[in-house]
Amino acid sequence: MIKRKNNALVPYLLSYPLLIIYLTFLTLFASQANVYAQEGDSGISTDPAIIAQGKTMFEENCRACHAVDRKVVGPALKEVYNRKDLAWITAFVQNSQKVIESGDQYAVDLYNEYNKTVMTPFPFLKDEDVAAIVAYIKDQTENAAVAEVAEGGEGAEVAAADEGSIPSNYLTAILVGLLIVLILILAVLGLIISVLTKYLREKKDLDEIDREVVEQKFGLEKVLKSPGFLGIVVFIFTAIVVKTIIDGLYTVGVQQGYAPTQPIAFSHEIHAGQYEIDCNYCHTGVTKSKNANIPSANICMNCHSAIKTESEEIKKIYAALDYDVATNQYGPNQKPIEWVRVHNLPDLAYFNHSQHVNVGGIECQTCHGPIEEMAVVRQYSNLTMGWCIDCHRKTDVNTVGNEYYDKLVELHDSKDALKVKDIGGLECSKCHY
Amino acid sequence: MFLYHKLKSYSFLLGLVILMACGADGDNQGTEYAPNMYHAVSYEPLKQITDKDAGNWVSSLDDGQGEYYSSNPLNPYGMNMREPVANTVRRSKNGYLPYRIPKDSLSLAATSLKNPLDSTAAVINDGKVLYGKFCGHCHGENGKADGKVAEVFGGVPVYSSPAVKNLSEGHIFHVITHGVRRMGAHGSQLSIEERWKIVRYVQVLQKQ
Repeated sequence: MIKRKNNALVPYLLSYPLLIIYLTFLTLFASQANVYAQEGDSGISTDPAIIAQGKTMFEENCRACHAVDRKVVGPALKEVYNRKDLAWITAFVQNSQKVIESGDQYAVDLYNEYNKTVMTPFPFLKDEDVAAIVAYIKDQTENAAVAEVAEGGEGAEVAAADEGSIPSNYLTAILVGLLIVLILILAVLGLIISVLTKYLREKKDLDEIDREVVEQKFGLEKVLKSPGFLGIVVFIFTAIVVKTIIDGLYTVGVQQGYAPTQPIAFSHEIHAGQYEIDCNYCHTGVTKSKNANIPSANICMNCHSAIKTESEEIKKIYAALDYDVATNQYGPNQKPIEWVRVHNLPDLAYFNHSQHVNVGGIECQTCHGPIEEMAVVRQYSNLTMGWCIDCHRKTDVNTVGNEYYDKLVELHDSKDALKVKDIGGLECSKCHY
Repeated sequence: MFLYHKLKSYSFLLGLVILMACGADGDNQGTEYAPNMYHAVSYEPLKQITDKDAGNWVSSLDDGQGEYYSSNPLNPYGMNMREPVANTVRRSKNGYLPYRIPKDSLSLAATSLKNPLDSTAAVINDGKVLYGKFCGHCHGENGKADGKVAEVFGGVPVYSSPAVKNLSEGHIFHVITHGVRRMGAHGSQLSIEERWKIVRYVQVLQKQ
């Protein structure tokens, strides 16, 4: 279809024979397809009602693993009715393992091609149900070309809409341009002043006051040496130095901003942000233990046994697990992945994740910051004692539905809610022992 | 004399620069204060320093090892963590014993297992929370296979579809534990009790 559009651009005389050849091919292919369809045909319906029924059943049962136009988990179903007859398809859908075990060469080849992935048996789909699904697939196959053209049109519209906004590059250029214009204006004004002064100096008919104004010299040296100016400079300098020293001292022993390079470029931005995988899915210890846990590679493999298998970073996981993608087998030479720990709380302080996350109901982001936006994880909070204590002073205890706190709440006869500091959140020995 | 004064002023500036370099950034961990109180003497889980000379300069022990060295030479790869000893049974509050049905015996699990937890509102609610954390990104909030990961992963069934809606509780438990087809095994991430809670919630989703 697209080819035809392009042909409209080339001269008429040239395009006409091409068009004819093109159409001939099209007709040939179409007629061939029809011959096949009739050969393997055991009555694939073209009735819109049956196609609609097939669509519903396809979406309910098949869509998870199959698409018409592309390979998903299983093969693309486009023209499946040309590859095998309806009876075979029905048998395979109802119980694929039975067909494979019967020694059917096509089924065995298919099974091996897809890494021995077992297709879910659908014994409840009756013969006419499978026929309806195939009718829907046939309808989709034949209308695919039409759909493609429609999609192409949509794509063009989106591209056009994108051009509406100004890219940030242009904004910077505009700002720089404005700055240059301002500097030019300043230079021109300076020139005008010097020209005017020169002209006035040469004039003889000025009185005393005017002459004084013209001859006035700006005593820059005088100003620089004046005690007031020196005082201000010394004050500002001292203030900056003191501030730098204090800031510098406060960073001793504080690892805020530490963002080590990891052996595998794992991105929380993709996993927790884009795909919304819960933190707890991988950090399994966070509700149960002192440590949140760095996930072991078997958790990576829950997804990456099947997706992004060609990525260089994922291959590092395979190497660590001695895993062979082609055979889905794990070898004996497994070794740990040496992740670099980001948060190193000093040994002198005790911290427990489950106490904060499970009992306290604190969100991960409260301390770890916007992890779901970090491609490389950095230490977000400073993890100083002042930071801990500050939170313990401000935070209400999560007492709802926790009978452990019932008596404490009863005894706590203050107007304010029960804070962490009220239950020993400021005691030294809570964290240092 | 002049040179001495000059050096003095420079050393002051140098000191400033050193102080400014104390902060952590990128691969630099920053300067530590009292490092021998920071590094644990005992083996810390999820932490391992294999360099025997690390922290020699603050070391107060005569064992010839640096203060920071933290690695268990008896473990494979000098790791500080170990897997539980084979064939040991973990204590649990309700006396759950390890799940022993092997991966390939799905039909046995499907017919023989019974959920020890009743379908109470509290159990279903716990199940819903756990489902959201461990299942939702693929199976979707309501079991419609519309999670963000399912879009790229593929092969995720809708719970209420005819092929899935009548699967037994034992089947669901076994599949969570060992995985099935493309789905991975989640037994290492969830305790037995947590899995049974999720089963209760999945049964609610099957019926919708």
